[in-house]
Amino acid sequence: MATVLEDRLDLAIRQVGSTILGKEHAIRLALSCLLARGHLLIEDLPGMGKTTLAHALARCLGLHYQRIQFTSDLLPADILGAAVYERQRETFVFHPGPIFAQLILADEINRATPKTQSALLEAMEEGQVTIEGETRKLPDPFFVIATQNPAYQIGTFPLPESQLDRFLMRIQLGYPNAQAERLLLEGEDRREVLARLPACLTPAQLHEAQARVTGIHAASPLLDYIQALLTFSRQSSHFRGGLSPRAGLALLRAARAWALLHRRSHVLPEDVQTVLPAVVGHRLHPSEDHLEQSTSHLVERLRAGVALPL
Amino acid sequence: MMPWNRNNRPKPEPPVELLTPQALIGLLAALVLAVGPHARELPVWLTALFAAVAGWRGFIVIRNQALPPRWLLLILATLAGAGVLLEYRTLLGREAGVALLTAMTACKLLETRSLRDGVVLVFLGYLLVMSNLLHSQDIPMVAYLLVVIVAMLAAQVMIHRQHAGLTALAPLWLAGRMLLLAIPVMLILFVLFPRIPGPLWGLPKDAHEGRTGLSEEMAPGTISALGQSDEVAFRVRFTSAIPPPNQRYWRGPVLWNFDGRRWTRIEELPSNVPAPFTPEGAAVEYTVILEPSNRRWLLALDLPASLPPRTSMTASFQLLRNQPVNEVYRYEMRSYPHYRTGDLTAAERTHGLQLPSRTNPRTRTLAAAWRQRDAQPEALVNTALALFREQAFYYTLTPPLLMSRDSVDDFLFRTRQGFCEHYASAFVFLMRAAGVPARVVTGYQGGERNELGGYFIIRQADAHAWAEVWLEGRGWVRIDPTAAVAPSRIQEGLYAALPDSGALPFLLRRGGNSEWLRQLALSWDSFNIVWNEWVLAYGPDRQKEFLSGLGFGAVDWGEMTVAMITALSGLGLAYAALRWRRRYARDPVVRAWQRFCVRLARRGLVREADEGPLAFVERVTHCRPDLAQPAGEIGRLYAALRYGPTISPAAVRQLQQLVRRFRA
Amino acid sequence: MRGQRPSNDPVQLNRRRIYILPTRQGYAFALLLFVLFLWAINYSNSMGFAFTFLLAAVALNSMWQAHDNLLGLILHPGCAEPVFAGQDAQWSFRLENPDSRPHYGVALQWQNRPPQYVNLPAQGSATVTLAIPAERRGWLRPGRLRVLTRYPLGLLQAWSWVEFDQGGLVYPQPRGQRPLPAALPGSAGSGLGEQGLGSEDYAGFRPYVPGDSPRRIAWKTAGRADQLLVKCFTDQARPELWLDWRLLGIDNLEPRLSQLCQWVLKADSDGRQYGLRLPGLQIPPGHGAVQRRRCLEALALFIDSEGISRRHDAVEPEQPAQARTAG
Repeated sequence: MATVLEDRLDLAIRQVGSTILGKEHAIRLALSCLLARGHLLIEDLPGMGKTTLAHALARCLGLHYQRIQFTSDLLPADILGAAVYERQRETFVFHPGPIFAQLILADEINRATPKTQSALLEAMEEGQVTIEGETRKLPDPFFVIATQNPAYQIGTFPLPESQLDRFLMRIQLGYPNAQAERLLLEGEDRREVLARLPACLTPAQLHEAQARVTGIHAASPLLDYIQALLTFSRQSSHFRGGLSPRAGLALLRAARAWALLHRRSHVLPEDVQTVLPAVVGHRLHPSEDHLEQSTSHLVERLRAGVALPL
Repeated sequence: MMPWNRNNRPKPEPPVELLTPQALIGLLAALVLAVGPHARELPVWLTALFAAVAGWRGFIVIRNQALPPRWLLLILATLAGAGVLLEYRTLLGREAGVALLTAMTACKLLETRSLRDGVVLVFLGYLLVMSNLLHSQDIPMVAYLLVVIVAMLAAQVMIHRQHAGLTALAPLWLAGRMLLLAIPVMLILFVLFPRIPGPLWGLPKDAHEGRTGLSEEMAPGTISALGQSDEVAFRVRFTSAIPPPNQRYWRGPVLWNFDGRRWTRIEELPSNVPAPFTPEGAAVEYTVILEPSNRRWLLALDLPASLPPRTSMTASFQLLRNQPVNEVYRYEMRSYPHYRTGDLTAAERTHGLQLPSRTNPRTRTLAAAWRQRDAQPEALVNTALALFREQAFYYTLTPPLLMSRDSVDDFLFRTRQGFCEHYASAFVFLMRAAGVPARVVTGYQGGERNELGGYFIIRQADAHAWAEVWLEGRGWVRIDPTAAVAPSRIQEGLYAALPDSGALPFLLRRGGNSEWLRQLALSWDSFNIVWNEWVLAYGPDRQKEFLSGLGFGAVDWGEMTVAMITALSGLGLAYAALRWRRRYARDPVVRAWQRFCVRLARRGLVREADEGPLAFVERVTHCRPDLAQPAGEIGRLYAALRYGPTISPAAVRQLQQLVRRFRA
Repeated sequence: MRGQRPSNDPVQLNRRRIYILPTRQGYAFALLLFVLFLWAINYSNSMGFAFTFLLAAVALNSMWQAHDNLLGLILHPGCAEPVFAGQDAQWSFRLENPDSRPHYGVALQWQNRPPQYVNLPAQGSATVTLAIPAERRGWLRPGRLRVLTRYPLGLLQAWSWVEFDQGGLVYPQPRGQRPLPAALPGSAGSGLGEQGLGSEDYAGFRPYVPGDSPRRIAWKTAGRADQLLVKCFTDQARPELWLDWRLLGIDNLEPRLSQLCQWVLKADSDGRQYGLRLPGLQIPPGHGAVQRRRCLEALALFIDSEGISRRHDAVEPEQPAQARTAG
């Protein structure tokens, strides 16, 4: 039974990999993010395959998928939906917005105004939306994959730190390597490939996978290691503020999902280290003396600064 | 370093570090504890002075008042010094030294305010602890002094202001812990540190004063004065059959010279081989644990046939050590209770017949009359013993004083009440006057068996004097005239023999209300003999004996030093290993992994501190493809055991085995 | 310095960097032990030997304890407020104890100044402040610090050397008797200043400095720009105070800077509007804490054109460079 599930997950990874070539690591990260019930932020330049990735994931996992293109004039109601007066029934009828889907692709989230952004982020946090005093549950599972252009582009509203924290992971796709790019050029249209993708997991299997993630064993020395990472981030002069307890929880959750994807019943420090850049990259900030340090440098410093507990 | 950082200013005076009130109170308490036992021998005024000063200093601390002015201190110091000088007539003796130390401590207390003063006081405190040991090394005293040492160490911790964060009891705990940790090292040093026989230089006259016991002369009253003393003279453990009481004569000084009242020794050249005699019958083997006596002679059963180290023997069978016995001294002996000695030399004959001229005329007349009747020495001996047995002679601890030169006359014809020295003295005089060579032997007789420890305690009250006469064909023969008067003295001890024994200390009594107390004291004493034999008697001789007993053969200083350093390093290594184990892997899984990593590190494959097991093994595999299989297996197993949900002992063993077999 | 390059990372004391030697008290204690030993020999006192050996063993044990008292402690790089040359810079360092037992009597010592002791609670930390004399202007690095302890008996001192790269700023020593120079009417190119109420000609914006009147803040632009701007008005009638290097005929560099420093402090305490001119660098007139700091920093880090004094890497080029473009 267990192997069946893991085989399905492997299959999903292969299938998504056939649409986005040469990005297996990112795909695995994205999948483990979803298995850990976390939301994903993909940060990259346009045209790198962010949308394709989200779409492929949705298809493979057999999820109901909605895409919201964020623009500066997008209003919260455009996402959440609104109550519309229907003349025939002489009553207000709620028209659900695109958020009532299992997987949302929030494209270019930093183009919308903070108000609209926060409407989405609140929904992500609580798993429900409240419209005109009425609380509506969002479907389960509910994932958000948000994409964002790097913040220094003009006319954007970068997500504030507190909102960034709501994403379990932030990943970058980056340019494909030459071989993958060649295949991409030679191959058929991605959209067609996408349309053909079958679902690899039933909803029940997805549920089971998520349940299994929480059951992955985290031994005491591993928890020691995570604690040491958190402590170091708070004490070292390289970081401003350090990691929050929520970041620690996120790290553990992501590492568990990663371990499941690799068919292990327990978390290894390597799992933590692998998901570390994706999980803490958007949560770490350089201190004033080290402003010049890039995020990857910071994460590397954190990783190298903490010894594994023996 | 940048040039403008250099500090060219004059070095600032370090500020005076003042003692905290807590530190001072702790120090005061420790010092009071250290001086406490000295109160027994210090003059009352000095004890009072110390108590007053300590109280005053405590008051000053608590009320936060000013210290007394310097001139007052000077006056006090001068007065105390003068007082000690007046009291002891010297400043150099042992007693005077302790008094001076106490007075100095008192004066220093009154000017103590800084850390440095505190250190001086702590050091004085350690000297006071030492001076206590010179008076007593009993178990209770040593236990008490251990408490004092803990208090002193705690005070030493507390006087350092910078440790002030310690809570009230923490220094005591710390000191106790340090003491416990120090004990193994102390034991090694105690056993193996090469001991030098002391003293290195002349000691003050009173260095070992205050010992009761046999002296080197005998006059009426000298031995009966010991009759009241329940102090232990020595203890004996027999390794062969125990001789009956009437053969337990412990030989001490042999006295030849008589001046009419007092018997004294003569100079005899000791020899370093046992004096020769012909033993008859089996030998008695035993160990003597002698209390400090400040005398050179050792005690042995009649007649001694062996010599302890650094000891010699005179022709009259006296054992003499080359230094006075000022420590608990243990030696092993062999004696023959039945013997026959050789011929009499001319000098011995002269000494054995020496009598002071014109003293004790009536005794001389009596002896001459006996000789007229029967000149046979045996007959003369019997006549004298019959005199004591048949006439109204009394055995008593409190005989009338005999001060004159004619003490034998006075005793034989007037008072007729006496202790052993009276009988021995009179008997030898009678024999000499009758022409039989005779001498007085002092020592101890009998002894009490401690059933618990299976050894004999010989107390000062067992001190005894008897006579030896020289008989043709038999040599020197022991004659105990006291046995003629009070046979129970010899068979059952002093208590049974004395009519007025109710006045004796309870330890010397038998039966009655205080018997249980005596039994308790005896049980306690059986502890003491172990302490004395194994700890206090551990001197240069015992050390050599002990080490050669362990199979080291004859050890010299160098070898002992090597053994000591080896033992200390061994202890240090064991301690370090213990700490290492505590700090690092207690877990067998981790230990196996560490061993694996160490093996690889020797081949230049060092695991980074942040490198996980699988990542490391992968790197190893990359660098050394030949190790891929075993390393991969170890890495996966370790990761599963370390981070997995369950640990099976079999898997742990497998990991250990894999690591053991792993060769990089 | 013993192979450890100074950096600004916290330093954890490990076995290899801890040294240990007896203190003067320790030597005195050794002498005491010797006296006790002789005493024990002379009196053949068995317990006297035991006592002497016990004290010796305790002293030996205290060596481990002193060593352990430092082992594992973490010293974080310190920081200091800027001071004037001749004063003591107060450097604060944080000592951290990751152990689950407290460490007592740990001290930091700079050169041979009296050590500053602290007690470190279990898994806690404490801050030690060291007064380090700032003798010359510029960047002051404390250099080698000694972390030491004499715990528990004071017989032995365990210590370790730690050096950080971090420096603290030292302003020149304010000195000189010259009165403030006369204020000049605003000259071309430097005529931007602030004035009282009722000023007329709007001249432009300049960045906000603490102390500016809120009424002058350009609130409209506040939303657009990331910093507050203040409206400036020309006022030819209002004289300007320039603290100018050239006004001082002193030959030596340092007395000149001292005098300028003195002037900056005077002008600042008078609440005046002032600017600073040094060769190759000009700070436009301003007032308040920020202006004072800018001027003092410029004086502290000034390198004269012949380049006599400072090491180059020690100077942070940012401040003077900004000032140059602003002028």
